[in-house]
Amino acid sequence: MIEKKTVIAILAGALASVAIAAEDPRDVRHELMEGVGEAAKVIGGMLKGEVEYDAAEAAQSLAVFERASSQLGELFPEGSESGKDTEASPAIWDDRAGFEAALSDWQGAIADARAADLQTLEDAKPALGAVFKTCKNCHDNYRIKDE
Amino acid sequence: MRRAIAALLVLTIVAAWWLTAPIRLTADALPAHTPDPVAGERAFWAGGCASCHATPVDGRRARGDDKLLLGGGMELPSPYGSFRVPNISPHADGIGGWTTIDFVNAMQRGVAPDGRHYYPSFPYASYARASVEDIMDLKAFIDTLPAVPGRSGAHDLGFPWSVRRGLGLWKRLYLDDRPVAAIKSNDPVVARGRKLVEGLGHCGECHTERDWLGGIVVARWLAGAPNPEGQGRVPNITPASKSVGGWSVEDLAYYFEEGFTPDFDTVGGSMVAVQENLARLDVADRAAIAAYLKAVPAVE
Repeated sequence: MIEKKTVIAILAGALASVAIAAEDPRDVRHELMEGVGEAAKVIGGMLKGEVEYDAAEAAQSLAVFERASSQLGELFPEGSESGKDTEASPAIWDDRAGFEAALSDWQGAIADARAADLQTLEDAKPALGAVFKTCKNCHDNYRIKDE
Repeated sequence: MRRAIAALLVLTIVAAWWLTAPIRLTADALPAHTPDPVAGERAFWAGGCASCHATPVDGRRARGDDKLLLGGGMELPSPYGSFRVPNISPHADGIGGWTTIDFVNAMQRGVAPDGRHYYPSFPYASYARASVEDIMDLKAFIDTLPAVPGRSGAHDLGFPWSVRRGLGLWKRLYLDDRPVAAIKSNDPVVARGRKLVEGLGHCGECHTERDWLGGIVVARWLAGAPNPEGQGRVPNITPASKSVGGWSVEDLAYYFEEGFTPDFDTVGGSMVAVQENLARLDVADRAAIAAYLKAVPAVE
């Protein structure tokens, strides 16, 4: 016999996933990038020497990047160019191939870092730094920042 | 009576001619300094020369080694009209054949070798505050770069801005090589930062408001300004800034070197190209810029 509470939880879960599926791509990609930002802060603080290096935490951040990078390509459909304070640059739609190449550079750098030896900061620095470079390259061309 | 009016008219014309005359340095004003092209490369990146003078590639700003091809050609829109950036490569169409004093007069007095005024879209009002030695080194470096042929078209400006001679008056109001920010510190690091920020770096040209004649409002030094490229604002970078006021010297230096904010967001907008230039400076120069920004008066 299934508990009433469990049924409600399952139903709520099902509803929530439907809601996510129907959500505006501008909201979804914004949420996703916020998560990437949080994960970047963790690695960034370690690269900058502000917090002690922790291989497990670095790997966790890379996992966040990996998930986001696999979903992001779908989240810039026609019709989502403007509104909701999006920082997406028109260049994403004008130069889709370039945008996808930048995205794939990011995925490649993440995969390289996942495969690299991350045990010490010395070992991890080049691979993590390469991931951060791809963030910057894509933002330089495909994001508009107001300030 | 008629004679008196005529005399007054002549006097006015003579006075206007005198007030708008270009003021140049002579070669004997140069210090005894052997120009060093290696130091000149640092001055080149600090001065951001390539950001405007490197010829755009496929309609986009030059990147990598293309930044060293200084053929000009970029168009700078402004409220006064459109400026066309000239060739400054060591070609006859650029600055090939210029003497050191020609170059110093261009950079620090805004005067071309033929005696014409330059428009202050070329930030000589800032470069005037750089050290003459840095300017001499800079020329030595530019002389090592490839000679690129080609001349840009004339600026497209509305009246009265189109009257070049009138810039002599503008210079009497705004061209001043004395330091800007009131800072009490005697720290040599801050002093170096001042030379870089107020001089070569010409940071105030975008980060400070201008008055209706396009002169920097000194009381608002580095407190932010409308974005000349359209929407948004160029941020306040004084210690009172809501965005960067809380950044430490290390945060600022890291941002200049790597392009990441303390939140590990990336540098954006026009600052991308500036940061790429700053990344090519010495560690000590980036730290000096950061120290200066912490020392300037906080302006809301």
